[in-house]
Amino acid sequence: MTVKIKPRPEGRTRRMGESEDVEIPEPQYAWMGKSHQWGTRVKAGDKGLTLGSLNVGHYAEVPEFWEDQTRMPRGSVAGSAVVPPIGYSVRHKSGLWADCAGDLYEEAIQRRWVPTTDLDWSSVEPLDDAVERAMCQLCTELIQCANVEMESIASWQEELSYGFHEVKQFLATVTFDDARHMDAFRKRALANGGGLGVESKGILNRMILESRGGWTETVAVMFLQRGLLTQTIYKHGVGFAHNAAEREMFSRSMQDKARHLTYAVEHLKYAVNHNEGQGPILNQVLTIGEGMLIAELKDPALRESLMILLAGSLEAAPSAGKAAFEGLMGDYLRQYAALTDWIGVSRDDGLPPDLARYLEA
Amino acid sequence: MAEFPSVDWFHAVRSVFNEHDEYHGAGGGACDTRFGVVVEDDVYALTMAGLRCVDAVSISADELPQLDFYLLMSHGDWRVMLENIRDNGRAALDQTLNTIDLDREEGLAHSAAEDQYKQDLFFRYNQTLQHFFDASSRVETSFSDSD
Amino acid sequence: MSEAVSAVSNESADNVEPMDLSWLEKMGEWGVRAEPSRDGISLADIQVGTYGEVPDHSDNMTGRPRGSGRRSDGFRIGGYEVRDKSEIWLENAAVLYEEALQRQWSSATDVPWETIRPLPDDVEQAQCQLATFLTEVEFVAGDIPARWIAKTSPDFFEPRMILLAQVMDESRHMDVFRKRAFANGGGLMQRTGGTSGIVGSIDMSRDFTEMSSRLHIAGEGAVLSIFRMGELMAYNDAEKHIYRLCAQDEARHVAFGVMHMRYMSETAPERREEIHVYLDESERGLLAGQNNPAARQTATSESLAILLGGGKDHFDEGYRKLLAIRRRQVKEYMQRVRSAGFGERFEDGRADPELVKYAQA
Repeated sequence: MTVKIKPRPEGRTRRMGESEDVEIPEPQYAWMGKSHQWGTRVKAGDKGLTLGSLNVGHYAEVPEFWEDQTRMPRGSVAGSAVVPPIGYSVRHKSGLWADCAGDLYEEAIQRRWVPTTDLDWSSVEPLDDAVERAMCQLCTELIQCANVEMESIASWQEELSYGFHEVKQFLATVTFDDARHMDAFRKRALANGGGLGVESKGILNRMILESRGGWTETVAVMFLQRGLLTQTIYKHGVGFAHNAAEREMFSRSMQDKARHLTYAVEHLKYAVNHNEGQGPILNQVLTIGEGMLIAELKDPALRESLMILLAGSLEAAPSAGKAAFEGLMGDYLRQYAALTDWIGVSRDDGLPPDLARYLEA
Repeated sequence: MAEFPSVDWFHAVRSVFNEHDEYHGAGGGACDTRFGVVVEDDVYALTMAGLRCVDAVSISADELPQLDFYLLMSHGDWRVMLENIRDNGRAALDQTLNTIDLDREEGLAHSAAEDQYKQDLFFRYNQTLQHFFDASSRVETSFSDSD
Repeated sequence: MSEAVSAVSNESADNVEPMDLSWLEKMGEWGVRAEPSRDGISLADIQVGTYGEVPDHSDNMTGRPRGSGRRSDGFRIGGYEVRDKSEIWLENAAVLYEEALQRQWSSATDVPWETIRPLPDDVEQAQCQLATFLTEVEFVAGDIPARWIAKTSPDFFEPRMILLAQVMDESRHMDVFRKRAFANGGGLMQRTGGTSGIVGSIDMSRDFTEMSSRLHIAGEGAVLSIFRMGELMAYNDAEKHIYRLCAQDEARHVAFGVMHMRYMSETAPERREEIHVYLDESERGLLAGQNNPAARQTATSESLAILLGGGKDHFDEGYRKLLAIRRRQVKEYMQRVRSAGFGERFEDGRADPELVKYAQA
């Protein structure tokens, strides 16, 4: 096929628009001069030009209730356009807010990583078959945790009002983190002569997905109860990692999870402090969640795979692995107790015996 | 000193592009494309793989449909852009690839196969392509006397 | 390993509780090894064995990772609506996801904000009005893909992950234009209400392909053109960077739409007529300017004309450029539809003749 390159135009290059022979409508400029606060000048600081730094003057006013039901940017002028409502259900600030959301959003972007290139996959070498199976089972569980979190947040995004854009933006980073985790753990499971494990029992997954009562309730179970356990597993994962890839994978995932937890704790505290009745509701939600966690842990897949990994072998799993698992659960529950205390939903009287026993480990 | 256009010139630029991390981040990053640079009757194919430009060869116009897209300007217009990059260390406001593409009626980026999906790679990888040509600021360049 | 399993799963003389280990028998395909390619282990590299087999129809209602072992007693918590591959698939899904991960950027630190200098008031107002509009519309493309992620079977995790990346990209766009509005002595201006009409119909989509054709092919294609215009009319390096990096992201979203539609055209011929109807609607919107406010006399089109011309005094010149760029946008839209496999509509009279005439003028 003979290809003719488009010919060079005769004469000088024509600028775009020069050939347009159209009637130009008279501009109205009705929008000019319309701003609630003109003359705003925000400068980049040490961390660059951050989302939080934009909240100056009028733009710093985050209302307790967001009236608008469209995608009107907070601080913009509504104007005379009549825009049909979109129908956001979460319109009270106390339903989603955390002062740290904007900062966490920026931190998530700065601390982004790429499983393909940031993990040294060449460091993954054959392991004992039982240990490899345990690692693959753990990866499968972690993939499913990330999947449920991602599905839950994704379905909530369109319910959260635009007036609280910092939270929406932060949650976009969370679902991107979840995608990264699903990516990394799936790659690890398939990188070393293994495969995926059996699917999760799903008891807690169901509760997270069915938290239709409100975003706050979802946050409590998803981030605080289950997310904290996931973070604890990541932390211990750094310890039992067998190679550089695993170490980095758990370490980066742990960092990501720490951000999720920070948002959760700040939001839950805000909700308890600003919503009368929120404390007892959360207390009840957490109690139900604890029961579900106990049921979930009765299933051997996650528990026993962790025992094998913590012990370093199948042979040592029933004794040393069990003790280490109880230590991991103790870690988790001590932090859980401390955080719920700080939020204002203390578990001192209410932790069920099947969980409380780990605090003595 | 390498003369533009020539395979030697593209090799010199890609060497700079490959070796300097500043051309690979901040919205740049890995990309995979084989694209053309057309200067009058001279046609070159450049291959990007990951973070590197791995190849630059002279090809015939008949091979253009095998490429994802190609960039076409007169020798004079290429020279204006490259001298601007040399003088400023990178393309100034009116000489970036996208600006040139939009500001000229005939555009800059084309697809010989008329496949917009492939031509859109010019947009998807625009920052990387811009970095590539900006890297020419570190290459001593001569131009033929055709202008 | 069976001896070791037996040893730990039976009662022992040391009163160590035996392990269950039944999960070892329920795992997915075993012995799989993904080999790293040039850059590491990519999503494409783990399409190995049964893990790479994407079902034409998904019966995964428990949310399990594709290829993982099934539980007969798993809760059916999925409730997924998108369970046919043809409804969401695209052939280069893994490539687009990895590209999205690689090409992330930070509005806080990757934009040279210090290069912004005071501009004439009419130009600054135009820039801020455009920024207000972009802040308003960008998260339509965050909220709505998020909804569909949650409705899609995890068996199609590759396209889900690209959509998660899109939500992240749109969050960043919402952020960067808000920052631009505040960076140079301006502020947010008037809400345009541009999220009703065709853009609003993205909200109303009841099918993924319907949504994708409106959002990715029509809507994002139009916004891509606005971003490219933004780079053309930028007054400083910061604006150049902003618009160029946003255009990169947007081009990726458009690529998703084109490739998904191409897959549909090849695998679901019974839906061709239906997709033509979606394209009919999009093209009416293109002509009426609903997808593309730059085509009408609106706050956005007036501000674009001011920016393209270099001030109110050069409005006419700017408007001509705007129309010329819009003509190119329409041509590119037509080329994308051809690339997606629906080009016959421009030859057989299906497409609005005004559109074809406009593009060919």
